[in-house]
Amino acid sequence: MTKHYLISHENWDKVLNRAISKYHLYAPVIRENHQDYKLVEQEQDISHIIYNTAKPASPLKTFFLPVKENVVREPEGTSRIILGIPPCDLAGLEMLDTFYLEEPYVDPYYRDRRENTLLIGTDCFTAQEHCHCTTYGVSPAVEKYADIRLASHEGNMYLTVLSGKGEEFVREYIAGEARETDESRMAPVWEKSGQLKKELEERNSRLPGYERTGVLIRKSGEDIWEKYAADCVSCGACSSICPTCTCFLLIDRPEFEKVRSLDTCQHPAFERVAAGEDPLHSKSARFRNRYLCKYVWRPEKYNTLACTGCGRCIEACIARINKNELFVELNA
Amino acid sequence: MPEATARTRSKTRKPARNMYTPLPATVEKVIDESPTIKTIAMIPDEEFSFKTGEFIELTIPGIGEAPFTPSSSPLETKRMEVTVMKTGYVTDYIHRLKKGDRVGIRGPFGRGYPLEDMYGKEILILGGGCGFAPIRSLLYNLMAEKDQFRKVTLCYGSKTPEECIYKPFINELRSVEKFEVLRSVDKPDETWEESVGVVTVLLDEIRVDIPNAVAVVCGPPIMMKFGTFKLLEMGFPENKIFLSMEKNMSCGLGKCGHCTMGKYFVCKDGPVFTYDEIKDQPDIWS
Repeated sequence: MTKHYLISHENWDKVLNRAISKYHLYAPVIRENHQDYKLVEQEQDISHIIYNTAKPASPLKTFFLPVKENVVREPEGTSRIILGIPPCDLAGLEMLDTFYLEEPYVDPYYRDRRENTLLIGTDCFTAQEHCHCTTYGVSPAVEKYADIRLASHEGNMYLTVLSGKGEEFVREYIAGEARETDESRMAPVWEKSGQLKKELEERNSRLPGYERTGVLIRKSGEDIWEKYAADCVSCGACSSICPTCTCFLLIDRPEFEKVRSLDTCQHPAFERVAAGEDPLHSKSARFRNRYLCKYVWRPEKYNTLACTGCGRCIEACIARINKNELFVELNA
Repeated sequence: MPEATARTRSKTRKPARNMYTPLPATVEKVIDESPTIKTIAMIPDEEFSFKTGEFIELTIPGIGEAPFTPSSSPLETKRMEVTVMKTGYVTDYIHRLKKGDRVGIRGPFGRGYPLEDMYGKEILILGGGCGFAPIRSLLYNLMAEKDQFRKVTLCYGSKTPEECIYKPFINELRSVEKFEVLRSVDKPDETWEESVGVVTVLLDEIRVDIPNAVAVVCGPPIMMKFGTFKLLEMGFPENKIFLSMEKNMSCGLGKCGHCTMGKYFVCKDGPVFTYDEIKDQPDIWS
């Protein structure tokens, strides 16, 4: 049976203070004008952690797929806690797990990081301008893929244990300070993300759903892609910031060392072969390719969401390309 | 981005098998096949086995990697050959290799030719240019198991007689029972005594029992395209045409995304596909 706990904010901070002696703890803080994860190294940093706001700037994948890493060394095995993960990024983890833990080539670096990381998800109580998780069936409440669900409410922290790993952590660090409670006590807290869900559904009511978007993209003509890609500079920010974009470039170093560096189909020559053929030669073909991948090919092949509606690609685009406007137009 | 940290609380663990680490090999010999094509024979530090049609990534340390289907026999595990056309940055370095140089081999990767499905059948092979490389490996395999097959017909095309590769191998093959070889060139010279024209002209010269045959096609994209269309026109079923696809395979593991062909990763789901598997995917001939 699912276990729920109630702990005062003060005691929760003590829990975290004990945990940082064993774990690398990453949690969202306000950094200048945005919110992002920070490594919490000292007791005084703990009070800066923010809870239950909308997503941090960096997607969760950054913790499992670093921008650059040597892939012929042994994995590090560092124990980590990532706190404050929004539900959209947890939904993206399903894609990453399916992809990187798929037999026969289980990625040793991804697996090592997944196994050694405790995930504490937090419900979203507020949303940002481009959040549209509910359009794709993702709820702003933490339902799965986290080890612990956490919400901060009126000076207390409300915890729900979602996995064996989460249970172990609770037993070791929290049980002494916390009081087990029943689901009825959680209801007022959970109601907050329930309210946000309704708001998001209303706000994004014109946006076609996930499967519908796939159908629309498949049958779309070239014109609309050329129109929306006109200002694209192929910088790849949309992919870098995407919780489910996974492509990379392998770079060879002397002595048979290899470095894996995140890459994107938005970069020119991504698919070009030595003889010169390049199916993604044009900018609009590359631009469309990313959405074909997310809404058609990945779901068809892996049966998981490859866009979780976080909206980061819209926020990150320096050309101010808004894929949701494109999909509304396609749906018109 | 999350902040990096200098602190470590490491407990290192060996991965079961790291597919990014190449197996070092020493270049044994470099054979000039044509002005633009060379075959590199290598001795891997450990025995290395592959199935015909599977590919490897050949690593030039510090320079890069490129995918090749070995052109040597899959029955040989101590020595491997790859046949490389000089087309770009990495292949330029490969062409500069000499005896004793150290290279790396990763793999084998992907899905090769399904030999068992070809047992009892007649096999028609259509090859062009450097696309002969995977086919030679297949032919070695077919020669070793020739009792399993009714007949093997190789139709090979190249631009000029000078660019016809594997000349000694062709002579060897012509002396093997059940094997027939037809060649054509686009631009003949005065010594050329075989067919003239694009490789598909050879298909008009052969007799093939289509209901009991499979076809294998490997070559440049344009030749693959028109070769496949011709085979379809002749009446070959879509699922009996095996195509060895070329895309920008990099990791070999179906992860890096560079060889995406619609829903497939050519490196993992291919490189050998039947035509019916890929006909609805985008950009298969480019």
